[in-house]
Amino acid sequence: MNKIILATVSALALGAVAAQAQDYPTKEIQGIIQWGAGGSTDTVMRAVTPHAEEVLGGTVVMQNVTGGVGAIALNNVESADADGYTLLMGAENPLLYKVMGLGDKDYGDFIPVDLLARGTAILVANNDAPFDDYAGMMQYIKDNPGELKLGATGPGGLPSVITAMMDTVEGKLDVISVPYDGDGPALTALQGGAIDVMPAVLGASIEGIRAGTMKPLAIFDTEASDKLPDVPTIVSENEAYGAYLPWGPFFGVFVKEGTPDDVVAKLSDAFKQGAENADFVKLMDERGFTMMNISGDEAEEFLTNWQQNTAWLLQDAGLTSASPEEFGIEKPAE
Amino acid sequence: METVLAFLTVFTQPQLFLLVGVGTFAGVYVGAIPGLSVTMAVSILISFTFSWDVYPAIALMIGIYMGGVYGGSRTAILLNIPGAPSAIATAMDGYPMAQKGEAGTAIGVTTVMSFIGGFIGIIVLALAAPFVSDFALSFQPRDYMLLAVLGILLVGSLSTGSLVKGIFAGAFGLAIGAVGRDPLTFAERFTFDFRLLEGGISFIAVMIGMFGVSEALMQLQHADKTAVKQKISRIVPSWGTVRRHLPLSLQTSSIGVIIGALPGTGGDIAALMAYDHAKRVTKNPEVPFGQGAIEGLVAPETANNAAVGGAFIPMMTLGIPGDAVTAIMIGALFIHGLNPGPMLMVDQPHMFWFIVGALCVANCFMLLFGLTGIKLFTRIVEMPRAVLIPLIMLLSIVGAYAVNNAITDVYWMLAFGVFGYFMRHYGYPLGPVILGVILSRLLDDNWRRAIISDREDLGRFFGGILHSPLSLVLFVAVILIFVSQTPVWAKAKAMLRKESA
Amino acid sequence: MTTPDPIHHDGSSDALPGGYDARRRPGELVFAILLTVASLALLWNAYGIAGLSKLSSPGAIPMATSAVMVVTALIVTVRTARQPRVADETVARDILPGTVILFVGLLVGYALLLRPLGFLPTSALFLIVGIKVLSRRGWGFTLGTALLSLAVIWLIFRLVFSVLMPAGIVPEAEFVQMLRNLFGGVL
Repeated sequence: MNKIILATVSALALGAVAAQAQDYPTKEIQGIIQWGAGGSTDTVMRAVTPHAEEVLGGTVVMQNVTGGVGAIALNNVESADADGYTLLMGAENPLLYKVMGLGDKDYGDFIPVDLLARGTAILVANNDAPFDDYAGMMQYIKDNPGELKLGATGPGGLPSVITAMMDTVEGKLDVISVPYDGDGPALTALQGGAIDVMPAVLGASIEGIRAGTMKPLAIFDTEASDKLPDVPTIVSENEAYGAYLPWGPFFGVFVKEGTPDDVVAKLSDAFKQGAENADFVKLMDERGFTMMNISGDEAEEFLTNWQQNTAWLLQDAGLTSASPEEFGIEKPAE
Repeated sequence: METVLAFLTVFTQPQLFLLVGVGTFAGVYVGAIPGLSVTMAVSILISFTFSWDVYPAIALMIGIYMGGVYGGSRTAILLNIPGAPSAIATAMDGYPMAQKGEAGTAIGVTTVMSFIGGFIGIIVLALAAPFVSDFALSFQPRDYMLLAVLGILLVGSLSTGSLVKGIFAGAFGLAIGAVGRDPLTFAERFTFDFRLLEGGISFIAVMIGMFGVSEALMQLQHADKTAVKQKISRIVPSWGTVRRHLPLSLQTSSIGVIIGALPGTGGDIAALMAYDHAKRVTKNPEVPFGQGAIEGLVAPETANNAAVGGAFIPMMTLGIPGDAVTAIMIGALFIHGLNPGPMLMVDQPHMFWFIVGALCVANCFMLLFGLTGIKLFTRIVEMPRAVLIPLIMLLSIVGAYAVNNAITDVYWMLAFGVFGYFMRHYGYPLGPVILGVILSRLLDDNWRRAIISDREDLGRFFGGILHSPLSLVLFVAVILIFVSQTPVWAKAKAMLRKESA
Repeated sequence: MTTPDPIHHDGSSDALPGGYDARRRPGELVFAILLTVASLALLWNAYGIAGLSKLSSPGAIPMATSAVMVVTALIVTVRTARQPRVADETVARDILPGTVILFVGLLVGYALLLRPLGFLPTSALFLIVGIKVLSRRGWGFTLGTALLSLAVIWLIFRLVFSVLMPAGIVPEAEFVQMLRNLFGGVL
């Protein structure tokens, strides 16, 4: 006990200058969550952090900073000191800020501490929709141009990427795109019949599918999900999708570029062990997320690939406000 | 039998029973302080109760939720500063009562009515949840838009002074709600190219500024006057008072349950709509509305507590949150290894009945804590203003910051505080501004969804209204309320009277 | 006090707004004109969002609301201009007396100092000056009440609700960590 007091008092006296990695953390860490309380990023972060805290031996105070599609949180962390005491807990969106004209910063200005898990996209339809599978939907669109209501969540969101894939593979679809501010409200609208089809993340729709309040059309992956083994994959419907898959949104913890290496290592280790916790693994599995739990070069590479693929996909579908080339995002090799 | 046992869990386990009590107690105070919100408290509890079992965690959250919704009325009555958005309407008649020294009566009525409203919400949740959630799901974007228009028309009954100034204030509120990047297209609106404005203006910051800081600035002019001595000898309202307002409270509770059950609308809108309803149906109030009418307390307080039960309906039956607090609770259930969704009622009926039981207990605790400890609260108002005013200002600052951990919100809060001060002096009502901000997204987003779904075709849009019974009812209500507020109606009524005479 | 102060129609209850029905208070016309100008600016900005392109454009509702603002603000301005002025009121005495200006100044000062100085010192200064000016009582009372209430607010918001106000020059995070260590994870 005395030792602890001594350590903290000396840390207090020396201030931030003495924040050596072997002592890290000497004060509480701020974890800034990019999305609102109750959302899936929020749930995942609040579920993994207590396990990471145990390994780290420190406290992470989590705050939700919302607004500007997560850009406000990103800029907050970016303007703090690169000392490892401010973490960004975010999702995939920042990788598209530049091409979407939403900001001039992205994860290139950060170091990935740990990329926790990735989600899978699925196409779900209202129960009363006059088709039961992907082929039926395509036929319906052909027979009734401009009648199918497809849910959307704004430029750069998962539905826009999936729609871009469909436009690229099948040719431009003549549908009505109805915007919602998140997949939760959009799936609610789907059940009420305000929209017919919604590209959503598996985790958000899995309970509804199990209970039969919405019907799955196709899963956007190369292999069927073990959670929903009966749902056909999109590649089995049209092989051309294979070029873009696997693709999915992801969750990760980041620190600002310039954070000392040993601090990053300590954080990475803590989150890695935290994410291996059985409770967390079970939670992610039940929500239909695929665990990644990667850091370092592996994570950097994942981010680069993800950004190249997605940015160019959107660029080719004509959905970007600036070309990825302008920001040095290379076109993925064919 | 299983059901009864599950319902009784919370009564038979002293630990759970106590946790609900502790939660409710904390909730009353959390709700009373502007800027501390139930949403915040519940989201912190997720980390706090991480290692607990799911039942105690949920018990504590439910207590906080129930207590918090009620607690907002305290400061609304005593200080004219609503502790939460759902208490805005309560201030309109509660504060005039406190100015007459009748704060004790006002708090008593509020508490008992909150209790009644709370129970009606719980009963509907227990008996009719699947039915109500089907109804709530059937609301299309078009219907949400009509509901928002109906809400905007409340400006008429919220502005007692000049109607034109009230309309201006309402439109101003709608504009504030649109500031920032549009959540649907990410287009910048009213940002004037300032980075700071991209995130928009938090509606809680506007509320705290307009009601908190501007009220404190107002009070400065009477800083050396002694506070009104409050009579708190008789707090529990007589049975006669309760019985007289029972019909009204049943009507406003139903408004509360339905609005609460609709995903995307909550207790704040319910309370304002209920206030408007009370003003319409109460022909001869003993005291005019706005000067301390009991009906002006009964309506919003029954409605916002009934909305609690309502918000649980889509959450329990479909896994869809009815408001921000239930959204976080869904997250908590996930973290504790449950899968909230349409199957929850089937797989885990026990959880449903446990929540119903916990809500009942929380509601009773609310009655208990509401009717006791009033002395402490009235002490706060009787504190020297020289101390109270700076404290209100400081709390407003911290509260505005706490909403989104953003210093920008503090700046906005202060700006709206000073602006609200001038509005008060020049006879512009503040209620419509808040109403506008609350309804802005509901109106704007759903208008766009509705018109996009109808391919930008107004003919098809109105055709759709005529073909859906729900839309038609809402549309007729909008027309009737609109006409009843225009001079044409008054003239027509006068003519009719002449003819019959 | 059974009715709101009849002389100074102060609008302290929202249900009974301030102002007079048939007369204008000092500064009221200027306020109305400012509102009109601001509404016009908003309308112009709303038009700039997407022009008159589509019914479903993100600018549609903002344009409609700011148009309503312009119209109503104009009506109010014209009406106010026609009304006679209240004879016995002045801006300096009834609208912006010294204490109000002082407190607005204090609030602006607070906003400016919050980030560089940090929450605790800024709030302490604000409370001490505010209470001292209003109460005109001794330093013992002033310091006692100010610091005690600040401590309570800090405990509730910082420790219980973990709202991280800007720390500024105070090493708050280290201090809280020390408290946490002392109480062994209870917090």
